[in-house]
Amino acid sequence: MTPPRRHLWIAAAIWAVLSIVGAVLVAGIQIIPVIASREAGIENSAFVLLAVLSVPVLMFVVVGLAYSAIWFRANGDEADGPPIHGHRGFQAAWLGISFALVIGLFAYGAAGLVDIRGAQTADFEVQVSAEQWAWHFTYPSTGATSKELHIPVGQRVHIVINSDDVIHSFWVPAFGIKQDAVPGRTTEIYVTATVAGTYPGLCAELCGFGHTNMRFTTVVSNRAALKAWLRKQKPGSEGSQPPPSGSESAS
Amino acid sequence: MRALKPGLVRAVVGAAIGAVIGAGSLILAGIVGMEITDGEILGLGYLLALIGFLFGIGAFRFWLTWAVGREVNIEEEHAAHGTAGDWRRYFLFTTDHKVIGVQYLATAFTLFLVAGSAAMLMRFELAQPGLVLGKEAYNEIFSTHGAMMITVALISIVGGLGNYLVPIMIGARDMAFPKTNALSYWLLPLPILLVAINPLLGGFDSGWTAYPPLSQQANLGQQAYLMAFVTVGVASILSAINFLVTVFRMRASGMSLMRMPIFVWALTVTSVLGLVATSVVAGAFTMLLFDRVLGTSFFRASRGGDVILFQHLFWFYSHPAVYIMGLPGLGAILEIVPVFARKPLFAYPLAVLSFISIGVLSFMVWAHHMFVSGMATFFHIPIMFTTELISVPTGIVFLSALGTIWMGRLHFKVPMLWVFGFIWAFLIGGITGVFLADVPTDLTLHDTYFVVAHFHYTIVGGAIFGLFAGTYYWFPKITGRMYSERLGKLHFWWFTLAFNATFLPMFWLGIEGMRRRVADYSPQLGGVNLWVSFAAFNIFLSVAVFVFNIVRSWRRGPQAEANPWRAQTLEWQTASPPPIQNFDHIPTVSSGPYEYGGGLGVPAEGRATP
Repeated sequence: MTPPRRHLWIAAAIWAVLSIVGAVLVAGIQIIPVIASREAGIENSAFVLLAVLSVPVLMFVVVGLAYSAIWFRANGDEADGPPIHGHRGFQAAWLGISFALVIGLFAYGAAGLVDIRGAQTADFEVQVSAEQWAWHFTYPSTGATSKELHIPVGQRVHIVINSDDVIHSFWVPAFGIKQDAVPGRTTEIYVTATVAGTYPGLCAELCGFGHTNMRFTTVVSNRAALKAWLRKQKPGSEGSQPPPSGSESAS
Repeated sequence: MRALKPGLVRAVVGAAIGAVIGAGSLILAGIVGMEITDGEILGLGYLLALIGFLFGIGAFRFWLTWAVGREVNIEEEHAAHGTAGDWRRYFLFTTDHKVIGVQYLATAFTLFLVAGSAAMLMRFELAQPGLVLGKEAYNEIFSTHGAMMITVALISIVGGLGNYLVPIMIGARDMAFPKTNALSYWLLPLPILLVAINPLLGGFDSGWTAYPPLSQQANLGQQAYLMAFVTVGVASILSAINFLVTVFRMRASGMSLMRMPIFVWALTVTSVLGLVATSVVAGAFTMLLFDRVLGTSFFRASRGGDVILFQHLFWFYSHPAVYIMGLPGLGAILEIVPVFARKPLFAYPLAVLSFISIGVLSFMVWAHHMFVSGMATFFHIPIMFTTELISVPTGIVFLSALGTIWMGRLHFKVPMLWVFGFIWAFLIGGITGVFLADVPTDLTLHDTYFVVAHFHYTIVGGAIFGLFAGTYYWFPKITGRMYSERLGKLHFWWFTLAFNATFLPMFWLGIEGMRRRVADYSPQLGGVNLWVSFAAFNIFLSVAVFVFNIVRSWRRGPQAEANPWRAQTLEWQTASPPPIQNFDHIPTVSSGPYEYGGGLGVPAEGRATP
């Protein structure tokens, strides 16, 4: 028979090795597939940190279960195990470590939230209007409207969101920002795009059967290109087109 | 008067009469020129049908006899407990908590199969990019799947195993209010039927969450769902009161609170949550119904209502509801671990405290479902904290399970396999929950398949793994027969592998940007979705093994002893199945429920002195 303390040491050693290997493997990967904004960058670091921290937690339980399943089988033995009702030191350590983890995660998350949502200043503003099932963008600086979202690279953009009918959700995965469009309210979000390019945008909140295809395109370009594009958009031109299938609401 | 005895036939007739009177009178009113909407016809028809159904089944027979001053035949009422071995009693209004428990279990598993079939249709649509069933049909199918599975998770362990076991585990002869207990079960069939037939009413496509304004413009099937939900809510409030009074007033002599089996503790906290939270959502859904049917504007932004208010009210219930689904499963698991590890439950007082803390904290975390809803930014901070804090008491459940397993003498019978499967699934659910509790990561993960994977790991992991573990563990007690160990193991391995093969890839799909509740997705995700559909189909097949095992073993399995697992809790100290009054003599309890290893020098059988 292996003495109880020996079991603990062996299991702890296996746990330590697996945790370190796992954490190192996870620490190297970029989790959010496309990162094209400052916000998505912050979220990706948070994602990686949480993933690294979750490895030892995962391994603790997995090693505990697997080790027990291998070494503590009864194998037909009808005898009972030792009458241990608890262990004060172990329970206290468990509680202490989980509290410490929670406080740490909370502080880190709160800092990240302030980083993303904090500064309420912007260099450029876009108004987003959602309806079943289309997106409309208005640029207050020129009064232009469009069906694509165009924003400048490297500048903090203020996105003001409204909905005409039901709840939608404005989401550009590469920006890591998501904000519901709520009828009767105005919601807002800030983003600083870091990489010029074209990115897909989606509706992330169930809004009826057109939800699946409620997409839009986001174009991030430099200020000069954006200005040229804005000049070409006639004010209100988009609004004069017949609205898409949206007006035939399901009620 | 006695031409039709109370029973299902009379209940159906009663429901039909109620529906005809309710709907008919409004249709007539419409014909003579009043302005009547379909919603009003459905509403009144359903309400009267429900009352007619309950009258027909005999739910009010006792009280009515008493109210009109006639002599109440107590003997006859007790005969309603049903004679042992007669299957017809399961279709009657009977007050025996054991019959009611089986009724709940059978209802829950039937619903599980129906909702599982809906999931198969969903995975059929999602197997390849492009549309097969169509977007409208898909939205209606996933809404029905969600609504039904939520009901399964809510009623299966609480109503089924809880009803059957809690009175026996605390040494009582029945629940505190046996007739109310039967009433809360018989409130369920009609709303469940209503959700099942909602495609005939045009279906509902707003998901089980029914967010307005979408749910205000949806078809009549939406109204059916709202009414059904409120009815199920009433049933759960009644059953919660019953559990609480039973646990606090009906314990046998010597059964102090800290000698109660952990499963009873789990059901107690669950009942507090059900009692306090359910009325909030019933209120919110009623307001939504009024908006739809009576023209109020609680949630109509165009007329001064507030759509976010609904989300607050909804999640104020629906997050505690996650624990109404999860806690009984946790309780069942911690109940089973000591028996198959042959060790006392590790840190029992801390586990009790953790259940209570989970219950309290569960009321303070609801708004983490709303991090992108547009609620005030400052409110994200405290909600993020409480949400992460709830992982501390939840972690204690792992501490208890692991501490019990460590250095135990493990017997890997089928229930113990489900315990291991449970711990794995709930662990994945818990860890991924941290990513959703953290606001920065939630901003990208919200409303993606990451969330779908997460809540299937917590709710299937918590409720369904717990339900299977408990069903196998208590099967010999409930039926007096033994299930097939081989089929049980086949079910476990098939289900667990298929479950993980289905839901682990969904985390990846979510990170890659696949949204929830869409019928179509980017073509590059096609391969993984095909795999997920294949694995999901295997979950369904594995459940067929379970159904076959249960049905066959109940009819022809070998006779089970009173205590095949050598367990120490009270339900194993009486016959299998227990007599109508549960015990020949009410036992006196002289020690805790898990004194394995002779902690107090008490042999297993000597614990409860008959």
